Amino acid sequence: MSALSAVVLAAGEGSRLRPLTRSRPKPMLPAATTPILARVLDELVDAGVTDITVVVGYRRERVQSYFGPTYRNVPLTYVGQRTQLGTGHALLAARADVDGSMLVINGDQIVDRRIISDVVSAHEGSDSVATLGLLRRPDVGEYGGVIVDDGGRTEDDPSVPIVDLVERPRDDRDYLLNAGVYALEPAIFEAIAETEPRTGEHSLIDAIAHLVSSCDDSSPPVRGVESDGLWVDATYPWDLLEVAAELFDRETGGSDTDGRGRQARPVSPSASVHDRAIVREPAVVADDCEIGPGAVVGPYACLGENVTVDAGAVVEHSVLDTDTRVGPNATVVECVTGQRVEIGADTTIPGGPGDVRVGDRVFEGENLGAVLADRVRDEGGVTYVPGAVVGPNATVRAGGTVRGTVVEGTEVRS
Amino acid sequence: MCGIIGYVGDQRGDTDVLDVLMTGLSGLEYRGYDSAGVAVADSSLAVRKREGDLSALESAVADGSVEGAAGIGHTRWSTHGPPSDVNAHPHTDADDRVAVVHNGIIENYGSLRDELEDRGYEFESETDTEVVPHLIADALSGGVEPETAFRRAIGRLEGSYAIAAVFSGSETVYAAREESPLVLGVGDGGHYLASDVPAFIEYTDRVIYLDDGEFATIEPSSVVVTDDEGTVVDTSIETIEWDAEDAGKSGYDHYMLKEIHEQPTAIRQCLSERVTELEGCIDVDSLASVSVPDRVQFVACGTSYHAALYGTRLLRERGVPATAFLASEYDVDAVPIGDDALVVGVTQSGETADTMGALRGANRVGATTLAVTNVVGSSAARECDHAMYVRAGPEIGVAATKTFVSQQIALVMLASELTGEYGDELVAALRDLPGKIQSVLDASAARGIATEYRDSDAFFFIGRGYNAPVALEGALKMKEITYRHAEGFAAGELKHGPLALVTDRTPVFALVTGGSNPTKTIGNVKEVETRGAPVVAVTDGCADVERHADFVLEVPESHPALAPVIANVQLQLVSYWVANQLGRSIDKPRNLAKSVTVE
Repeated sequence: MSALSAVVLAAGEGSRLRPLTRSRPKPMLPAATTPILARVLDELVDAGVTDITVVVGYRRERVQSYFGPTYRNVPLTYVGQRTQLGTGHALLAARADVDGSMLVINGDQIVDRRIISDVVSAHEGSDSVATLGLLRRPDVGEYGGVIVDDGGRTEDDPSVPIVDLVERPRDDRDYLLNAGVYALEPAIFEAIAETEPRTGEHSLIDAIAHLVSSCDDSSPPVRGVESDGLWVDATYPWDLLEVAAELFDRETGGSDTDGRGRQARPVSPSASVHDRAIVREPAVVADDCEIGPGAVVGPYACLGENVTVDAGAVVEHSVLDTDTRVGPNATVVECVTGQRVEIGADTTIPGGPGDVRVGDRVFEGENLGAVLADRVRDEGGVTYVPGAVVGPNATVRAGGTVRGTVVEGTEVRS
Repeated sequence: MCGIIGYVGDQRGDTDVLDVLMTGLSGLEYRGYDSAGVAVADSSLAVRKREGDLSALESAVADGSVEGAAGIGHTRWSTHGPPSDVNAHPHTDADDRVAVVHNGIIENYGSLRDELEDRGYEFESETDTEVVPHLIADALSGGVEPETAFRRAIGRLEGSYAIAAVFSGSETVYAAREESPLVLGVGDGGHYLASDVPAFIEYTDRVIYLDDGEFATIEPSSVVVTDDEGTVVDTSIETIEWDAEDAGKSGYDHYMLKEIHEQPTAIRQCLSERVTELEGCIDVDSLASVSVPDRVQFVACGTSYHAALYGTRLLRERGVPATAFLASEYDVDAVPIGDDALVVGVTQSGETADTMGALRGANRVGATTLAVTNVVGSSAARECDHAMYVRAGPEIGVAATKTFVSQQIALVMLASELTGEYGDELVAALRDLPGKIQSVLDASAARGIATEYRDSDAFFFIGRGYNAPVALEGALKMKEITYRHAEGFAAGELKHGPLALVTDRTPVFALVTGGSNPTKTIGNVKEVETRGAPVVAVTDGCADVERHADFVLEVPESHPALAPVIANVQLQLVSYWVANQLGRSIDKPRNLAKSVTVE
């Protein structure tokens, strides 16, 4: 495979990350300071992919406008999935744009390039119709589980036959984690078409499971290759803190870019950091940020593009997205913000364990200072009880206290 | 407003001359597209040209009969004679010894043509360009070499031109420039010339800018630039940073929509490292040496003129007398200029002939000149005393969108830097602008409003203060891409005449944002409401205009000078969706070209 095509699935909203996905899909949420999808594309380019088809749907303009027609000189083709009817359906949207073998990858999970390379080399020259990237992880229950036939292992082939795929497995069989990295033959399109949709959705996993179950001696096998390396998925908004931490702690090897194809640096040269400000590493400060005198940024602070941290403010263990402004002497700990959030002067987000309510579920004891969605504005002197989640365009009046969930567009008075 | 391309291959590479020419022409299509042609030379000349867009030419050359070592190509936008196969370039002499492409206008072509016809030369086309191959043929008949013949012919011309020629039996392209854009490309597998860099950026990013009065001789192994005496001129090779990749539509149906969505990024680029909120400063390097002028005159055309009108208000508000002139009227308007004036040319391409003419006039009388342009190394940037770049990135759609917003932002910084007058609020508002425009793009109601009103008789746009130039721009955008009648007015002017046009079939878009004396504009809205016209309020909610409106296009609150910049984005989207639903050729509207390099 000298020419290596990839299809990236980036059409879904990622509704469990609401309210952060109000105006953009999960692949565009920040992994540290750059979209998750930029990290995915980085790994693909580093693994030698020569052209990329991006399946877009929910708020597709956000993806297209950010990445444009190429990423690090690799051409990007966008195909639209008008309604989001599952990952298999998304892949069908790309059918006309790929021929031959293809690499298929989720656009909303960060995977190590080693997993991609392992899948590509295991698939190359094999007779498999599909090769899946697998990881050995203790916590498969929230993700996709894969059972392999270790008896089918041969000496010169790193891959093993797959015998079963189960989403969010509840039994205690020996599951490997499906890393969401697939090398597929065009036969997958038929399999997707033949597989019964479940609750209206055509799932790629179901189609692969269909190939596994209909497999006999004469048909090409579905195999998996066990790999190693970083694999991070944000399921809930506060997971973005964990994603950033893992990226900071990861052993850096190869080229790490800043999401616009340039070499990553802790502090962008176009950022303005006052002489009397302190940046405690690990921290990352993106383009055009401003940090005022006496401010302390870090450790584990991610300031997205054009973020302002005013004089005397403290930001640590937080992911602040593009255009967010932190007022003078505010304290921001374990906080996730969307875009153009205003945290007022003297506001305190102390962080620490709190109960977070998402829909009907309550997550107890999460380390979360607050999630503030796009364009939340607090007027200053506000205190956030750990676990607070504030919806887009909400306003918090000066001196107020925020606890629990605040819905979109509302006003919190003291 | 045509585009030219030339290429000489060095034989080592396997790059096909025709491929280079066709790729080049597609990169130049924005400059005109009513006819196109190519000429390729080896032992003889092969010329193919067709009326219509490039696909017509593509089928004409598909038979593979056009081969050779050196070639030239042209995409045309008619100035002399209607689009036709005959009027398309290249033009040749009667014996097919030379083929010529030309961008510009030869002002003395009438007398040259009479002279040549008297001496028996027969003309096939109605173009001014055709005098050139006949002049060259005339010199060749006198027994001189091609280069001498080319120089002699160019020496007879008056007017503006970028001209390239190939000769039968030769592997050289000859070129000359006078007041029309021409850039040379230095490649590994051959050398290039073109009206603009995108024509050959796919092959090389190393360029030489030709100056007025210079000649270029492009051979397989060399590029030589000479002056009109034939003396070799020292040139420097510059490296271009724009990528060919920027030319794709990135999943949008049209470049225009792509570019509308690129506006937040364009503004970020324009502002980057020029504003610091915490230190409350605006600091544009290229303006550091410009002293505070007694008065400022803007010269510009089209959308850039609307940006210039916006700029005058910014300066006047800061106590500097400022006026905007249509560049094409500047010389005939008898505008008093002198060395106490700063003349600011606002031009996206930096090649707009009308604007260049006005700037050259200002240079002659000793005024300080400043180019506000998007194209690094363009004629405006090189010929003015100072240049400020708007950094919008390449814009392909003929209707200007992101370059307008970038021009506006550049002018905000210009007015602030020149006068030192700006507050912390303005700096903060500038940094918030990209995100606020993003909110408009995320949630605009423009598409539905377009559906509602696309079949209207006419569209009117009204605004006051900073909103007045935006009203004009809203109407221009509507005209350009929907072909519908549209007019923009200062809101108070409506009752002095145009109100007679208002009916229940003419929606009125009212721009009402904070600081622009909104209550007065609401009075004007009531005037049209009474006449039964549908009202679309484009507003930040400052004055309760919603009560009088059938629809509302929301604008986030911002600084009084910047809210109109955001409001304009809503109007761009309305025009786009009306044009889209009417099935118009949005990126290449009829009769229009992106960069107008004729006066």
